[in-house]
Amino acid sequence: MVVTPAEPGDELLAAQAAAGDDHAFEQLVSRYEARIYRLACRLTSETEAPDVLQETFLQVYRNLRTFRGDSRFGTWLYRIATNAAMMNRRARARRPSEPLDQFLPRFDARGVHTGTPEELQLPSRADELLDRQALAERAREVLARLPDMYRDPFVLRDLEDLSTAEVAGMLGLDPAAVRQRVHRARLMLRGYLSDLVGVRP
Amino acid sequence: MKDIVCVTGVELLNDYLEGVLTADVRAALDAHVAGCQRCAAFIDSYRATPRLLKEATDAALPDDIQRSLRAFLRAQRH
Repeated sequence: MVVTPAEPGDELLAAQAAAGDDHAFEQLVSRYEARIYRLACRLTSETEAPDVLQETFLQVYRNLRTFRGDSRFGTWLYRIATNAAMMNRRARARRPSEPLDQFLPRFDARGVHTGTPEELQLPSRADELLDRQALAERAREVLARLPDMYRDPFVLRDLEDLSTAEVAGMLGLDPAAVRQRVHRARLMLRGYLSDLVGVRP
Repeated sequence: MKDIVCVTGVELLNDYLEGVLTADVRAALDAHVAGCQRCAAFIDSYRATPRLLKEATDAALPDDIQRSLRAFLRAQRH
């Protein structure tokens, strides 16, 4: 049995890095760089993600002394990365916002789903029915089309697994507003998947 | 409360999953879904959506981007 020595916690490394320990800073970078890159891809694009990644760790490096350890280091870092992604988007030309309303679920006059159970269930099999690469491309496209007010809470809550309370704190929203926006994002994305597998939502 | 139909059930779905509904609304929703194949199928695909998008956007950090990040950060420190 291999016994690995316990890894130092993020908060300890952050304190050491703030005191000028470059090795501690490098450990934090190597611990989080892949996650922050993935987050940056989800909030911006593969083209912009490298810049967001650099900007995030530059801000971390410059502001380590202001990290008090009263929140988790990961939460603090995600907040910086999310802000860096938003700033990056703001600096780009505005893309036309598409509410993707055509993908919302449909109901008849009595409020009953118009699709059959088989049709309604089909989007959950999108990964079996579509080529993996094609699905990845479509996923990137649809995230980019989603208005930021839905994209940010959806990415943080559902793709990065933050809690509703954490997302609310990060985006300056009420938890109820986070729940509502995440819900609407899921409805639109579900309908989009439905369309991809050949069923009108 | 009023009987739940599919459209109201869908509106309440995330609040249901997040556990913020009152017990009576929750029970009414459970009762509707238990007898509605459409809602059961819808909920299945609704819950699958985040998982599918998460897997489909699971980008790995390319080596060249990792190298340039580290070189950039070293340059900032010197």
